[in-house]
Amino acid sequence: MKRLLPSIILTCLLGTALAADLPPGLLKLDARPAPALKLSDMDGKTVDLAQLKERWVLVHFWASWCGPCRREMPTLPQLIKTFPAERLTVVLVNTAETDDEVFSFLASVSPELGTLMDRDGQVTTRWKSRGLPSTFLVDPQGRLRYLALGGRDWSSAAYLAFLRELTRK
Amino acid sequence: MRLYVLLLMCCAPLASAADMQITRDDLDFSVSVRTPEQTNAFYAARGLPPRAVQEIANACFLTVSLHNRRADILWLDLAAWDFADANGHQVARISRSQWAARWRSLHVPLAAQSTFGWTQLPETRDMQPDESVGGNVPIAPPAGKFTLTARFRTGMKGTGKPVEIKFPGLSCPHEGAPQ
Repeated sequence: MKRLLPSIILTCLLGTALAADLPPGLLKLDARPAPALKLSDMDGKTVDLAQLKERWVLVHFWASWCGPCRREMPTLPQLIKTFPAERLTVVLVNTAETDDEVFSFLASVSPELGTLMDRDGQVTTRWKSRGLPSTFLVDPQGRLRYLALGGRDWSSAAYLAFLRELTRK
Repeated sequence: MRLYVLLLMCCAPLASAADMQITRDDLDFSVSVRTPEQTNAFYAARGLPPRAVQEIANACFLTVSLHNRRADILWLDLAAWDFADANGHQVARISRSQWAARWRSLHVPLAAQSTFGWTQLPETRDMQPDESVGGNVPIAPPAGKFTLTARFRTGMKGTGKPVEIKFPGLSCPHEGAPQ
């Protein structure tokens, strides 16, 4: 036991450090319940956040006219490929644009990317995003846990490591 | 076209005489006063209907960019900003609720209202360390030059040493003014 003790202490310390070490630009939230999110994509397929149980969900609000959104969007396909959907589901929500605008932009980034359409922008408003882009991390219990301020490279090592640790069961 | 207009809004003002940039107390603060042509093009390109663009053209838009480089929170609160003309008279800022009332009376679609809202500087914001925020601040255009005095509270509870930044000599370009 005496020989194990230093290892146990070290593991605890590392765990604490990891929890405290947020990548830059990520804000810890107060774990309040996520607002409702039930929207359709351009094909009419509906996604309801309340149905995405027992997994982390990354909810990303964006618009093609927003410069940081355009720079950030190409980093999302790598993130989506890295995590199985049952571990981390990425939900894109376009804010108040038309099908034509969204289709022409997303097709130029990655044909596999799909987005829900907040056609009148009211869902984005209810989520109290701090601007566009805004990204929320929702925990498996449906609580808001983190907010990413502005755009970033989601495929960077720091974010992938953070998300791996966060979503580890 | 949309990309061009965006670049115009983001880059062209850097060379404009109406641009000012100040860094003080670890706050980067820049202000650009838009010409009516820039504002019209910006909002028309974002799908706002002509009646909304016309209404917008009656106002003067300041594009503001803020970056909090401090180690503590900087509190953005437009109610603490003061716009005054050369005689010290107040210049009215047009608030979000005033725009909302205008949009309702003009029957502007919700999507266009939402897009307009996202282009506005937030009226209040707890700016976290290293957080940036930007957007437009519309005012009723004064006839001559005016001064913007922006005040910010600091610290977790807003009780830290306040930051005040003054931009004198601003003016709203009239339609047809050189850009």
